[in-house]
Amino acid sequence: MSDDDPKRAADSGDDAPTRPAGSGEDEPQTGAKSGGGARSGGDAADADGSPIAAAREADSLRGAAGALVGGLTTAERNVASALGAFIALLLLFTAAGVINPTYLLYLLSLAGMYLLLSMGLNVQWGYTGLINFSVAAFFGLGAYGAALVTSSDAPITIAASPLLGLVAGLSLAGILAVLIGIPTLSLRADYLAIASLGLAEVVRLIINNEGQWTGGAVGLSGIPRFYENWPVLGDLARGTPTAAANLALVSVFVVATYLFLRRIHRSPWGRVQRTIRADEDLAKALGKDTFRFKMESFVVGSLVMALAGVFFAHLQLYLAPTSLLPTQTFYVWIAVILGGTGSDRGAMFGGFVIIAIREGTRFVGGSLPIDAGPLRLFLIGLIIILVIRYRPEGLLPPQRELVWPGASSSQADGGDGQ
Amino acid sequence: MSDAETPADGDEPRSMHDSAALGKGDPVMQVEGLKKSFGGLTATDDVSLEVERGTITGLIGPNGAGKSTLFNLVSGFYEPDAGSVTLRPERWDEDAEEWIVEEHDVSGTPPHERVDSGMVRTFQTPRKPEGMTVREAMLVGPQNQVGESIFALFTNPEQVRMEESEALARADEMLDRFGIAHLAGEPATELSGGQMKLVELARAMMAEPDLLLLDEPVAGVNPTLANELREFIHSLNEDGVTFLVIEHDMSFIMRLADPIIVLDQGSVLGEGSPEAVRTDERVIDAYLGGAL
Repeated sequence: MSDDDPKRAADSGDDAPTRPAGSGEDEPQTGAKSGGGARSGGDAADADGSPIAAAREADSLRGAAGALVGGLTTAERNVASALGAFIALLLLFTAAGVINPTYLLYLLSLAGMYLLLSMGLNVQWGYTGLINFSVAAFFGLGAYGAALVTSSDAPITIAASPLLGLVAGLSLAGILAVLIGIPTLSLRADYLAIASLGLAEVVRLIINNEGQWTGGAVGLSGIPRFYENWPVLGDLARGTPTAAANLALVSVFVVATYLFLRRIHRSPWGRVQRTIRADEDLAKALGKDTFRFKMESFVVGSLVMALAGVFFAHLQLYLAPTSLLPTQTFYVWIAVILGGTGSDRGAMFGGFVIIAIREGTRFVGGSLPIDAGPLRLFLIGLIIILVIRYRPEGLLPPQRELVWPGASSSQADGGDGQ
Repeated sequence: MSDAETPADGDEPRSMHDSAALGKGDPVMQVEGLKKSFGGLTATDDVSLEVERGTITGLIGPNGAGKSTLFNLVSGFYEPDAGSVTLRPERWDEDAEEWIVEEHDVSGTPPHERVDSGMVRTFQTPRKPEGMTVREAMLVGPQNQVGESIFALFTNPEQVRMEESEALARADEMLDRFGIAHLAGEPATELSGGQMKLVELARAMMAEPDLLLLDEPVAGVNPTLANELREFIHSLNEDGVTFLVIEHDMSFIMRLADPIIVLDQGSVLGEGSPEAVRTDERVIDAYLGGAL
């Protein structure tokens, strides 16, 4: 279509009466844009169109810096200040001796685990629209995979390195995701929902009943810390130092996962996923192998959930099938919906809020005339109703256009390649 | 792209063919004996037709004639009971340095593989990608993007960036050409029906099709925009894109397409120039009810 410029000029002549007045003035811009856009020899054209190019570049720069300061949206500012205030409050309480620092570190590690779970579900539901009700199963497989391989009390004792456990946990979850994906992902979305609802219980019951393999209802103990055999970290004293190390570990997991997900979310891959979510037929009509994309999304999300499970096993050092109860799954769903479906940061924020409510109510419980357990569920239920009623898109929905970083139609670097 | 050829009018018989004109010189799509029934209802019954490269071919017929079913069969959304679809896209041959015509039998392949063979379709009701801007929606169009592979995102980010820049430039260009550049940053869900029709056409063009199937491109579109759309389709056709267009708006399709294929009750009633179709007794009986 290299020869379309003269044609377009001719067209706009024909169309002039019916087109909006502005279209005529757009023509020169088009020339500059198409010349500058990643085509070699675009430098000259770009020099001509420099005001536009400069403006666009400034735009993209602002976008990049936006994550840091200037370009924060209202929602982002609100969430950031709420988080800041909350953490300041926590620190204040800790300094005042109300909260035990070791416990605080433990809670934050647990929150980190929830961030992973909700990020994993956000890949499946938020990006692609896959309804997965077996978060607990993938989490559990990650946890049990890691625990069975590393525990010194496992029915079949391997007591291997936690790194091997990590691989085992992720592989188990990945394999299960593929197996459940093959029959369900080519069907309508509801079938995955139904199948996964059953799957979660099947996985839990198998673990519960196959005691000779899994330790059964009694649970598995003797799980080492993740960094047990590492230099320095392995020698840390019990209590605050190990709790701090756990938090550091989960932070590494969270940051690595976030960076990974952000990259795939902003890519053409992520865009196809979002198209599938909106309308799978549209994605098909545009030549996308939707089954492949859904499978990839399902597996990636499941792996992230399994990673949370691996961390959980090494955080608690003990694992029982009760950790795989369906409530786990629904907490994570609530976190994603609350935070903002389709937004990685929203999912993380949602995970944080859920853990804050779940664990925070342990403290307020004593001073209230009712029991803390029901209050917790009541609060979470109330929040869901309020969010769906007043802010159905979640507290921190996707804020910006997602385009590959550095890519812009007027960039002046036709020279480095093509 | 191929030369913009319009079939030589002199060769066309004045009256309408009794069936679809087969044995065309350079068909971009050949459909043979397509059958599909839903339960006891035969939606398309042994439909054979050809779409000549470079034409804008119309497909008309009364409600229930099987037009949309035919589109779904041809684009792979429905599985036919019998019959075949062959696409003949033009591909640039690097070695020979010329355009060559490939022949792909796409019968039984899923929709996305047919897009690989140069056929893209649009939908009767425009599909609005929720949560995406118009620009993002446009970027889904290009085929075989490196960035659609998770591994390439990490092993070859530079290639992804270059392709993305190129796609952005083309998206801007295309939106500009359709006079909707100002909508690029708008959420796709905020557009009016007519604007969405334009975006859908522009997005389909991002896939660089040889053959574009349009399902009622001006349904629910105001006359001014319909005229604009007709101009756009003509100008894309001049760039070498072949069109097969379903449309109920008679005056629109008569001014846009040549030849026009008429479907009735699941089979091809005939094919001919707009004049031939307009004046044919059988078409009037079956469809127009004497309206023209």
